[in-house]
Amino acid sequence: MNAMIEELPQLTCVKASGRLDFEASSGFQTQMEAAVAGAATRGAAVVIDCASLEYVSSAGLRVFLVAARAAKAANIGFAVCSLVPAVKEVFEVSGFGRIIDVQADFAAASAKLAG
Amino acid sequence: MITLPEELLLLAVEDDGRIAYTAGLPGFGLAIIGACLAELSVGGRLDADLSGVRVVSTTPTGIAAQDLVLEALAKGPGRSISDWILELQPRGPELVAATLGILTQRGILAQQDQRFLWVLKARRYPMKDGREQREAKLRIMELLLSEELPSTADTVLLGFAAAAQLLQGFLSSAEIARLEHRIQQVGGLDLFVRGTEEAIRADAEIRARAFMTPLF
Repeated sequence: MNAMIEELPQLTCVKASGRLDFEASSGFQTQMEAAVAGAATRGAAVVIDCASLEYVSSAGLRVFLVAARAAKAANIGFAVCSLVPAVKEVFEVSGFGRIIDVQADFAAASAKLAG
Repeated sequence: MITLPEELLLLAVEDDGRIAYTAGLPGFGLAIIGACLAELSVGGRLDADLSGVRVVSTTPTGIAAQDLVLEALAKGPGRSISDWILELQPRGPELVAATLGILTQRGILAQQDQRFLWVLKARRYPMKDGREQREAKLRIMELLLSEELPSTADTVLLGFAAAAQLLQGFLSSAEIARLEHRIQQVGGLDLFVRGTEEAIRADAEIRARAFMTPLF
């Protein structure tokens, strides 16, 4: 699991790749907390680009919820985008799609959040 | 620190110490098993995806009900969450008894044995001060009545309480109907809750088939 944080003018993009399972979830959560805090200080929204995220487990899912909550508490936009079918299915089954903004790709997320 | 199965059990205790009738429904036992799995997952013992549950650590938690479940999973084959819950269903009463034991040991519940019609034994579990149950109900109500995103702990509490029909203990049918959209939206955003709901459905289907199939 790897997460690359890229700061764009009105967006912080977190490019997640690999497998987000129990072993990876703690490190990813720390990175997400830093990304959301950094975005909040400059009033930017956060997008997690999951194009290269192959797998997410129950432990990994929790990180998305923690990050979305932190973004809401900081009053900044939050979305995930480019879910591969396996990850999309986990989002659908768990119901995450009902509370987290899921966009088809980064362009759509960027257009929505950075306006 | 109170665990998720303990919170669910407390939600099944009525003001006078009687156990709510919903705890007699099969869904309650299945939800307690699911809650043990979820608690083990939060405690870093299990991880899961849509195909199966994986034991991450076999280190005992020191909590009887959870360790019983962890031991079974560590010894057993790979199964989905719902299959594990159905597999452990016969041990549901054991898990409930162990969890009740912890709550009485910690003084959160008392245990009172009475006789009904001088013969039938009736056991009640009056609460010491009801603080823990009140807190669990308040967390659920705050989540239902706010527009906030749930914490990971609150979404599973609401999800399991709804799956086990425990919301009926403190919300009227009309209130539950009014809040249904919010319950669906923020309750059970977790694979263990979804697996439990699947197990409850599967169990109901098995019972329905058995009920509708002539014996001879």
